[in-house]
Amino acid sequence: MEAVTELIAAAIRIATPLLFAALGGILSERAGVFAVGLEGMMLTGAFAGVVVTYALGSAGAGVLASALGGAALGGVVAVATARFYADQMVTGLAVNILALGLTSFLLRGLFGRGEAPTIRVATLSAVPIPILGDVPGLGPLLFRQPVLTYVGLAMVVGIFVFLRRTRAGLTLRAVGENPVAAFAGGADPVRIRQLAVIAGGALAGVGGAVLSLQQVGTFTDGMTSGRGYLALAAIIVGRWAPGGALVGCLLFGAADALQLRVQGLRLPVSSYVVQMLPYVVSLAVLAGMGRGAKLPAAIGTPFVR
Amino acid sequence: MKARHALAWPLLAVALSLALTALLILAAGKNPLLAYAALAHGALGSWDRIGVGLNKTTPYLLTGVGVALCFRAKVINIGGEGQIALGGLAATATALALPDAPTVVLPILALAAGALAGAAWAALAAAIRLHRRVHEVLVTLLLNFVGVLVVSEALQGALGEPGAGFPQSPLLSRPAWLPRLAGASDLHIGILVALAAVIAGHVLLWRTPFGFRLRVLGASEPAAAYAGISPARTLLGVMVLSGALAGLAGGVEVLGVHYRLIEGFSHGFGFNAVAIALLAGLNPIAILPAGLFFGFLETGALAMQRAVGVPSPLVSVIQGLTMVFILSAMGIATLRRRV
Repeated sequence: MEAVTELIAAAIRIATPLLFAALGGILSERAGVFAVGLEGMMLTGAFAGVVVTYALGSAGAGVLASALGGAALGGVVAVATARFYADQMVTGLAVNILALGLTSFLLRGLFGRGEAPTIRVATLSAVPIPILGDVPGLGPLLFRQPVLTYVGLAMVVGIFVFLRRTRAGLTLRAVGENPVAAFAGGADPVRIRQLAVIAGGALAGVGGAVLSLQQVGTFTDGMTSGRGYLALAAIIVGRWAPGGALVGCLLFGAADALQLRVQGLRLPVSSYVVQMLPYVVSLAVLAGMGRGAKLPAAIGTPFVR
Repeated sequence: MKARHALAWPLLAVALSLALTALLILAAGKNPLLAYAALAHGALGSWDRIGVGLNKTTPYLLTGVGVALCFRAKVINIGGEGQIALGGLAATATALALPDAPTVVLPILALAAGALAGAAWAALAAAIRLHRRVHEVLVTLLLNFVGVLVVSEALQGALGEPGAGFPQSPLLSRPAWLPRLAGASDLHIGILVALAAVIAGHVLLWRTPFGFRLRVLGASEPAAAYAGISPARTLLGVMVLSGALAGLAGGVEVLGVHYRLIEGFSHGFGFNAVAIALLAGLNPIAILPAGLFFGFLETGALAMQRAVGVPSPLVSVIQGLTMVFILSAMGIATLRRRV
């Protein structure tokens, strides 16, 4: 029993950074822009969060900085793809390379002399919710989390409502499905796509802060190590819906948590085979969906007035 | 007009990103001119350094040509890293399995195995793409992670060197090593293979029916279908070809540089190859200067870090910025042509 609760706790912990990035990616992709740059946005957010927390001594300022950092990289993608019609996927790859270089460079250039220094900051502590946190069994598991985990879950609901129930959200989806029609309806697809990508970048940046501020307490080179790509897969597994993405992230979180524990269990397969799980699972899900995987119709195509 | 643009955009993009990164160097309290001079010296300062740079460039050229051919047909294959990883794995396994094979035969067999493995990995991606209609970007991306883990798994098990303390294979027997070109320097014959691939890619794209099919498919899928060109067969063909080139690159890297399989040896190669193919405007011949730019930038960066203390990750900033600028310029240019 204790092993199971521990596993669930680990799955939630691993899923949280992915969740923020996946939600950000949903905003971007629903507006018609592939979110390949999530990895770089997360990394930028992780870096900005640690640096600002270290400099100002305030974790709140750090989280804000992580959002701004992710949004700034989102801004690069937004301008290049929506205004200059740059290929969306390759631009995403480009900013990932850019972010990896920039964060590693700044870490050394600003804080060390050629060597990578270690900046330690206190990790965000758990905030138990009264009463719910004391419920035996699941209580401590679900309701004694650090603050950003709650924010992430609230965001799932928030973005669901935004996309389904608000005028802005509906317009955003219209731009992703048929920008010409949305334009005829009075919307400005270029502006909306840019805003969506920037907002998505901010969310992915906070996802990076979950990793660096809430879980690790420092920044290391390339610390997101592929999580942005995994978030991308979670979006598809969840069919571009916030709730679905949550399930996808938890699935990957569970696969990863399992992999961490398998090493001690003397299973016939090695830990590497288990590490493949998240990727193989998402490939299988994608393949199983086949034609059912309905991408936003206008994704990848530039809107030209 | 067109030719002038083809050359002007990449040069402008490179100049712009060098200027922007100069600001970063200033922010870190260093002199950008000294830093760039150290970078150039580290890249080109001696025959030895040039040899190292050419070795670095070799896998980029091989993989980049394949990527360019794929992108010409609008097949967005970003699976280079996984294909390189498996190519290196197969080449290592072959070399370890045949320790007594003669000098000339062994590297050829090992490289062929590498190309075959890369081709098979790309064919798997193409099959998923064609039969299950999953976009090739996602398939190749996800298979990258799996491919790299397959290498780790092999190094953990059958191919690993016991007690090495690092996930790597035993040293390959000498007959498997690629011969060096010039006595003292590390330069191996891989660069000649890469040059051949660049030329072959150019001829294939512009002078053969298959190349024509690639270009028609890339220009318009309906037009290709109308002309009797099978999009599915063309996609499979170009994926297998680029996978073989990437696998070959993996084999060359193992047999020419490391002489053993090392975990993470393929890291970043695949995405850099995409960047290079784009920088070259998807022209196989132009991949040569683009690949050299990337290769020498990377070997120069480490020297720059040693000489003037400017951190080497700066190179990734230059690479990323250059890509963003070129992609934007290409996007605008394509649009102008359409209008």
